[in-house]
Amino acid sequence: MNASRTYTHHDAEALAAGLPPLMVAAERVANTVSQGVHGRRRVGQGETFWQFRRYAPGDSMQQIDWRQSAKNDPVFIRETEWEAAQSVWLWRDGSPSMAYGSDAESTTKRDRADLLLMALASLLIRGGEHVALLGTGQNPGAGRHVLTRLWNEIESGQIVDAGLPGFEMLPRHGRLVMIGDFLSSEDQIRMAVNAFAHHGIRGHLVHLIDPAEETFPFEGRVQFEGPEDEGRTIIGNSSGIADEYRAVFQAHIESVQSISRAARWGYTRHRTDASPEAALMALYLALSDQGRGTRG
Amino acid sequence: MVSLGPLAFLTPWALAALIALPAIWWLLRLTPPIPNKVVFPPIQLLFGLISKNETASKTPWWLLLLRLLIAALIIFAAARPLLHAETELGSDGPVLIVIDNGWAAAERWDVRRDIAVSIADRAARADRQIVILPTAAPSDGGAIAVQSLGAEGARDVLSKLLPQPWPSDRGDATTALTKWAESFNGLADIRWLSDGIDDAGADVLGERLKSLGRLTIYGSNELQTMVVRPPEITPAGLELTVERARADAVNIPFEVRGLDGKGRVQAVVSGQFEQGARTVDLVLDAPSEILNRIDRVQIGNAMHAGAVVLLDQRWRRRAVGIVDVDGAAEVQPLLSKSYYISRALEKTAGVTIASFNDLLATPLSVLIAPDGFAPTANEIERLQSWISEGGVVVRFAGPALARQSAEGNSSDTLLPVELRSGNRVIGGAMSWSQPMRLAPFPASSPFAGLTPPVDARVRRQVLAQPTPHLAEKTWAALEDGTPLVTADKRGRGWVVLIHTAPTTVWSDLPISGIFVEMMQRLSALGQGVAIKSDASPLTPEMTLDAFGRLGAPPAGAQPILASAIDDQRVSQQNPPGIYGNADIRRAFNLTALLPTLEPLPLPDGAVVGSYEKPTERELTAWLYMLALGLFLIDMVVGLWVRTGARATSAVTGLLMVGFVASMGWGGPVKADEKFALENSIETRLAFVQTGDTRIDQVSELGLTGLTVMLARRTAAELGAPQAVELGRDELAFFPMIYWPVTPGLELDDVARLAVVEYLRNGGTILFDTQERGGTAQASAMRELAADLSLPPLVPVSSDHVLTRAFYLLEEFPGRFAGGTLWVERAGERVNDGVSPVMAGSSDWASAWALDENYRPIFPVVPGGERQREMAFRFGINLVMHVLTGNYKADQVHMPAIIKRLGQ
Repeated sequence: MNASRTYTHHDAEALAAGLPPLMVAAERVANTVSQGVHGRRRVGQGETFWQFRRYAPGDSMQQIDWRQSAKNDPVFIRETEWEAAQSVWLWRDGSPSMAYGSDAESTTKRDRADLLLMALASLLIRGGEHVALLGTGQNPGAGRHVLTRLWNEIESGQIVDAGLPGFEMLPRHGRLVMIGDFLSSEDQIRMAVNAFAHHGIRGHLVHLIDPAEETFPFEGRVQFEGPEDEGRTIIGNSSGIADEYRAVFQAHIESVQSISRAARWGYTRHRTDASPEAALMALYLALSDQGRGTRG
Repeated sequence: MVSLGPLAFLTPWALAALIALPAIWWLLRLTPPIPNKVVFPPIQLLFGLISKNETASKTPWWLLLLRLLIAALIIFAAARPLLHAETELGSDGPVLIVIDNGWAAAERWDVRRDIAVSIADRAARADRQIVILPTAAPSDGGAIAVQSLGAEGARDVLSKLLPQPWPSDRGDATTALTKWAESFNGLADIRWLSDGIDDAGADVLGERLKSLGRLTIYGSNELQTMVVRPPEITPAGLELTVERARADAVNIPFEVRGLDGKGRVQAVVSGQFEQGARTVDLVLDAPSEILNRIDRVQIGNAMHAGAVVLLDQRWRRRAVGIVDVDGAAEVQPLLSKSYYISRALEKTAGVTIASFNDLLATPLSVLIAPDGFAPTANEIERLQSWISEGGVVVRFAGPALARQSAEGNSSDTLLPVELRSGNRVIGGAMSWSQPMRLAPFPASSPFAGLTPPVDARVRRQVLAQPTPHLAEKTWAALEDGTPLVTADKRGRGWVVLIHTAPTTVWSDLPISGIFVEMMQRLSALGQGVAIKSDASPLTPEMTLDAFGRLGAPPAGAQPILASAIDDQRVSQQNPPGIYGNADIRRAFNLTALLPTLEPLPLPDGAVVGSYEKPTERELTAWLYMLALGLFLIDMVVGLWVRTGARATSAVTGLLMVGFVASMGWGGPVKADEKFALENSIETRLAFVQTGDTRIDQVSELGLTGLTVMLARRTAAELGAPQAVELGRDELAFFPMIYWPVTPGLELDDVARLAVVEYLRNGGTILFDTQERGGTAQASAMRELAADLSLPPLVPVSSDHVLTRAFYLLEEFPGRFAGGTLWVERAGERVNDGVSPVMAGSSDWASAWALDENYRPIFPVVPGGERQREMAFRFGINLVMHVLTGNYKADQVHMPAIIKRLGQ
């Protein structure tokens, strides 16, 4: 673990202050609908007009729209669209492999994940969304205090240090953002993603990659050791196997991407030596695209 | 021994290991280095990979080279190489080392000895027998002998060989050599370490040596042996001649110094030889008081006996002798007849007060005879001859002379003028005049230029008969013209009569300042004249060793007759030095009768070597050190290759620090440092370890008890008492040492010196003979007092500071009462009023001894516990007095001082 754990949520907010507040549905901005309240495309409680419906026995008398009823013969009820706030769950990979940073100057993956998570939470909060940390059992909340609560939860380590999130029953139409390095086997990743996707949760994967993992810059006789007690191996001629390794690594990345596509989730790849603003921008665009694109 | 250019190898077969180097190279090449360790998260991906062509990565070539170099260095070091090995020893026979160890060899003796030892080492390595022949007679009185030894013995003898302060005798050496060579035939390798000075038997020795084999002479072409001949006193100062053996040697400027008895330089003159000159004359110019202090004359930093000349009374200017007419009667100083005279002269001349016979034995310039000196005819005759050679006799008048002249005794011809009978009282009850002053001095007298004092008056004098020549003989007169000092020239000397007494009874002259000047001028009249002395043998008191240092005489030194001392040459029986006793001391110098120095001629056919420090050097140690250094570098480099820069710098730093610290490792704190530390941190009393355990135990308990009492009653909080062993432990830390005097304690020189130094520098020793007055201890005390030259002691008076330093006491009992406490006489030494020596017999330690429950151990007689209390009070007084000096004494006078200041 290197010293870049000094990022506080203030730094995260500073980063997020550069981007406009995140609007999941762009057309809602133009309306007077308060930010963060999204139409759910169904009948429910809200402010926006949705439809007129014939009066059926049992409906409330206040909902009758007299003008329409006067125009036509039957009695009509005015119904509004169901508007409810968006809930976003955030998750960050806490496994020991995230503590890796290939050289002293660059950040570890964990620090970068924390930074992105907090920046995203800040943007969402500013946009009025409800945010919670997956695994803590807390209900999503809005407001600045939520940020502090999130940061404390991350710091105190309430989230389980696992490579993949355990399944939790989340309300439908919630969003999930998973930030991690996804260094598990394909099957495990697919199982985790599909568990959420089958319950109608839309998600987004942020895949963090350390440059050394991608480029494999080692030479000579090297003994490799896994950080999660996976064992060790001595490679006599590291430069000889570099090409093979790179190919395998690329294959792994592609497989993660394909899993997320199959579940119709978003996917962002980010190298820790690139600037975090780029990742955040990509995430912002991806989330707003998703909001615009899907229905129901 | 195989040699390869300047290098030679002592064990050349070790070089065979060099063959193994390629094998080492092959081994080092194959061994792969330790891999880097890396933490790598996607390691699961690696497990699946098959690594093709896994080849052991190669060691970098420079690391390989470094390791090969280390191996090569170790092999070379094992072969024990020598740099600049000396030339081989010729032929097969023994190696004969002839060493000149006379006085001339003392110059750079260490180089000669090192060369001799290195020759012996080489001979030992080649398994040759070593024969040693010194050419100066040994100091124990034996004859010059040839020693034939093996390696260890030769090294031992050579390293212990010392030069002797007499000239080397090559004739005797040749005899010894011939005797040895009778049993030897064959060829030897002969090395003659000569001192460069020729003497009678040198050429014979050279021929003899050449006949025995190949001769190598080590000459001293660059050494310049200089000697200084005994000086002469002249009006200009001390004139001396410095001589050297070789006229063509380098002319370095040098200094000749006059040193006093303590080695302090009193006068210096620098000189330089002219080109081609063998002698140079120098003058040591200094005021006569300073010249009189010079005890030895020495050339610069020359360290041999020929460069030192010892001076005795003969070189003292103006030695004045005062005839001791008081004799055995113990006269108080101010009433003694010679007191004022000696006080007047003590600063400018060497004054001796002795009986007439003793005085004449020493060389004197002036003989002063106070009143009461009545010479017999024999004595007058001796004096006459002395006077005619330049001596001066100054006589004083007084009651005895007045009586003598009244009796009309005319046999005393040692007077410059004839005296009238009786004496004259000026200013007495029956006279008209007042006591008279001195008239201005006539221009022809030696006192011309002095102003007569206005307050010195003469009350009584002896009168001279008026004769026509009286005026010429008068050197000083009174106001009315009566002569006060008359003088008559006899031969080259003078007889002077001062018409008044040398004490203050007859005049104020002795106590006036002009007396000093008059005496000085009178003493300047004389010159040092040696009187023929008798044939008493003078034993050597201190002798010079070959390096010019004074020390105890060697075993073989014999006495010399006083009459023969000027004709004797320095030899094994008579080493140079100071001979005689307290009355007669004569210096016996090496260079007095030394023949002129000639350089030693080299025999033909001899190889010439020179005295340079042997340059042969074994490189083994250096090569091992170098290999060690490279090994450390290899370790550091390996570390760097593996782990990266940061860790290596830390390790390198640690290694360097460790290396440097190991060189400066001082080891544990030495015992005497520990002693010093313990005794400096707190003040402690000390007691002398006598060796008798019971007495030491009692001393310790006693001083502990005293320390306890001091802590309870006073502000002096001392530490536990410390046992000291005289001579071994440093005494300076202790303000007071308690010394229980036992008959069995032996003091060696070191201990004695330590005690004397301690006393001189302000320490106090309490001697306790611990008995009621038996004789055994008293004689031990007397012996101690003589040994340590303790000052004379007086009993403590009733107003001594000790009676009132803390408690008011009248007596100082210990375990026994009634003994006296002796201290040094007040005023003898300025030690802040504390007497350095206190002695008694009351056994104080037993009175002070307390056990661990603070109960007294020994009974006190006869006074019981009251007496013990007094003993403690005495102890407290003593320690307070020792610690505070004269503070207690001053305090008592404070009221009087204040009262006086107030007025």
